[in-house]
Amino acid sequence: MGKVEGSFTVEDMKNVQINIGAVIKEEEEWDQPMGPFPYPSIAKLRDWDFKLTDRYRIYYNPICDRCTLCTYGPCDLTGNKRGACGITQEGHQGKLVLLVVLIGCTAHCAHGRHLYHWCLDRFGDMPFDMGPEIDVDAPLTRTICGIKPKTIKDFGPVLSYIEEEVSQLLACCHTGQEASYRDFDSKALHAGMLDSLGKEVSDMIQIIAYDMPRGDPDAPLVEIGMGCLDKNKAIFITYGHNVAGAAESIFYAEENNLWDKVDIGGVCCTAIDNTRIGEGLGHPWIKKNLGTKVKVAGAMGWWRKMVRAGVMDCVMVDEQCVYCDVLEECSARKIPVIASNEKILLGLKDRTNDPADEIVDDLVNFKVPGVIVLDPIKAGEVGIRTAIAVKPERAEAQANIFLTEEEFNKHVEACTQCNSCAFVCPPHLKISNAMEEAAKGNLEPFSSTYEICVGCRRCEQVCPQDIPVLKCYAYANQEYIKNQKFKMRAGRGPVLDTEIRIVGAPLCLGTIPGIIALVGCANYPNGTKECYDMAREFARRGYIVITTGCMAMDMSLYTDEEGRTIWEEFPGAFDGGNVCNIGSCVANAHGHGAGIKVATIYAHRNERGNYDDIADYVLNKVGVCGIAWGAMSQKAASIATGFNRLGVPVVVEPHGVMYRRAYLGRTDVKEDWEIIDARDGSKVYCEPAPEHLLYVAETKEEAMLMLAKLCFRPSDNNAGRMIKLTHYCDINMKYFGQMPPDWPIYVRHASDLPLVYKDKMLKELEEKHDWKIDWKRKMILEGPIRPSEVAFDPTNIERKIRVRK
Amino acid sequence: MEMAVDTTKNPVPFEMAEFHGPEISKTYKTKVLGAIIKKSKRPLLVVGAELFDDPVMFDKAIEIGKTGIPIAATAHSIKGFIDRGYTENVYQIGFNPLANYLRFKDWMGLDGKGQYDTFILMGIFYKFASATFSALKNFNRDIRRISIDRYYHVSADMSFGNLAFKPDDYHAAVDEVIAVLKK
Repeated sequence: MGKVEGSFTVEDMKNVQINIGAVIKEEEEWDQPMGPFPYPSIAKLRDWDFKLTDRYRIYYNPICDRCTLCTYGPCDLTGNKRGACGITQEGHQGKLVLLVVLIGCTAHCAHGRHLYHWCLDRFGDMPFDMGPEIDVDAPLTRTICGIKPKTIKDFGPVLSYIEEEVSQLLACCHTGQEASYRDFDSKALHAGMLDSLGKEVSDMIQIIAYDMPRGDPDAPLVEIGMGCLDKNKAIFITYGHNVAGAAESIFYAEENNLWDKVDIGGVCCTAIDNTRIGEGLGHPWIKKNLGTKVKVAGAMGWWRKMVRAGVMDCVMVDEQCVYCDVLEECSARKIPVIASNEKILLGLKDRTNDPADEIVDDLVNFKVPGVIVLDPIKAGEVGIRTAIAVKPERAEAQANIFLTEEEFNKHVEACTQCNSCAFVCPPHLKISNAMEEAAKGNLEPFSSTYEICVGCRRCEQVCPQDIPVLKCYAYANQEYIKNQKFKMRAGRGPVLDTEIRIVGAPLCLGTIPGIIALVGCANYPNGTKECYDMAREFARRGYIVITTGCMAMDMSLYTDEEGRTIWEEFPGAFDGGNVCNIGSCVANAHGHGAGIKVATIYAHRNERGNYDDIADYVLNKVGVCGIAWGAMSQKAASIATGFNRLGVPVVVEPHGVMYRRAYLGRTDVKEDWEIIDARDGSKVYCEPAPEHLLYVAETKEEAMLMLAKLCFRPSDNNAGRMIKLTHYCDINMKYFGQMPPDWPIYVRHASDLPLVYKDKMLKELEEKHDWKIDWKRKMILEGPIRPSEVAFDPTNIERKIRVRK
Repeated sequence: MEMAVDTTKNPVPFEMAEFHGPEISKTYKTKVLGAIIKKSKRPLLVVGAELFDDPVMFDKAIEIGKTGIPIAATAHSIKGFIDRGYTENVYQIGFNPLANYLRFKDWMGLDGKGQYDTFILMGIFYKFASATFSALKNFNRDIRRISIDRYYHVSADMSFGNLAFKPDDYHAAVDEVIAVLKK
């Protein structure tokens, strides 16, 4: 037996069983001690959560006033009455929020767990190498667990930790357990943090296993849109979030030289991850840039529109965000469905162990509408072969995809303008107006509202005339569908350490006014274009714009005056005035990671098992704000809650009230904004920066104003505050027609004032707010909430005080 | 005064599934709603960005503002008032933070004179408005919740029936409320 640096080999031994526990060799790899909270359990970070919710009051808007979770019920909790078990309305809402966040968290974590097992089976253990420009390589894992993963296998204990915590948290929702809404909310924040960790594990594993970009600002441009799928070939759609099966279909097409016979497109986050394959550091057998051969069909909101536009011959679903009627929708059009993950089985028969030839035969001859194939390799093969073979077989069904002119006219003329459809339409489209105009020959209302329709199909279900509304939309938009061809930058992955070194100081001082993270799903209040408008507004203002998932896909569908998509208009680095597509929704973890990296790389904070310290740093010093403008799923809730625990404010669209909870500050309560100066422990009353932690905005304009406002931080220097205040005032002037009424509270010194408004502002401060101004020097003598001080070191954590007064 | 529009009909939530619980709003005639608003000591009219879809509603909000009722203009709806040269008692504030303030008894209001006793709403994205009525219904029952929106609001105390697809009737109904306020 020899011993070589922590490993050993055993030779010539038989019938010997050796049990080895975990080999601990972490200490030598760290240049920092373990922080106070490695692998924190539920109550460990509760103090931090309470600090957050002392300031950012938990606001509930119940969607249902009753509790029906146990047999005592239904209990009427209206007016904060108690149910039979003793729970209040607040407690019940807190419980529901926790449940929602747990659902989201488990979706990401289970995704990671599946990839963990599958990638180890498929590729074996692989070194965790994020490339030469990333040293802080798994920021959330380091911060929450206090470990540095070296191989894929090292993420196993991280997943086990999440799974144990999730189990404990879910138990808290049983009747008779937790009662306090504040503790329910702390638990939701814990679940949000676990969600962020699960996302990081998921994306890191797939980055390594499938050789995805390691923070490449020049990640390739790939094709996106229904029009880019070649109808002369068979079209195979991979739909969902887990790339395992989809990747195998890509490998199968490549190995068998089938690209002239089949086009592979993706829907939802699988689409983004397909296009990242083979764009990293190199892989033993994945061809370089293989992902660029795959196309993005579109975001989740386009799914039913795609089905009705006839852009596919066969579909493979994996997990998450898949419409529950996928089988019915597809079988009605003779599109075979392959379920490739245990989370979505659709009532189909499990054919995993059957020969591929038999499965393909059954699907191509429509003996079954779909099958379960849980082996990703076989699912990929079956999918490609079926798509190619079924294309001629479903020619007749395909030919009848669109309504004929006669059918269309018959339907629109059948509309009685009863408006039952408008009563159930999420974005409140006046569908009957479109019908009425179409009956007169004017298709414009159908065209102009096509991108606003979220494809929910509720209109069709309530129509007393049985009008197939989405089919009418498809008929009226055939030209658009054909020409929906754009470019999207493939997901670049994490932020580079080298990028953080460049932007760390400007971000903390405020001279880069902030990071705007556009994340989440596709349930927009007013269509896909708002994604593009918001991203462009902030990129042009010099903010760092990062985006993921459906918002990244949907903002790709527009071009500027020169015909450039947003990816061609702006570079893709993590820097001011850039727009980065970080990746799919699990890649949102790199947004957290960027905040952590600013704290560790720029400010040299120890991240190891030190979550609250890092979150405190982000809350007080890193101007970052997330926006989920189409937030639909429970995952969006867990993503937002995870951002919140890390000190990142989030804005959601008006549908976001369905999440039932916001975190809102009270600027009228001075004590809420007391903060510690870490230099000497003195208490300072601060301006409300950031004012809110989770905010529901009514319109795009309000959202943009809040994004600018929620990037204010107490640590801004004068130049930084001036820049942030300039954008805040400018957006208010542009869209609201006046200066924001609360601008004076963000002024600490005359140097904070935007140059363009300076004289006017000083005058207003003196005349309307009784501030004392030295006009000779243009200085503020009296008035601000606090003076501006360069060395001010804001914190909410007592242990950060360096020398007590 | 003869009321032209029957606002008590059709108490159907605009989004059909918006039924919150056992306590649901009743529909009232314009005369009754107007009288109750007029009688309240600290009313607040809250209007939002849907007014841009039906700009004449800005003029009607201004008419209400001129009767002395302060206006909270949510989202970017303040622009509609600025464009019409009326900003006398109009305050820019987000709907979400406004709702948060309204649930605290110690909030001193937009003018610093104290918490409001009557919350009157129109022109805000339906789902958002509905959820906010629900927040007040559950967590500050001292404030009366009145909808003069074009939609029936199930979690208000008092509401019009649904007039979403009868713009003329809706305009006439709001005019009738204004007439009562002016009396």
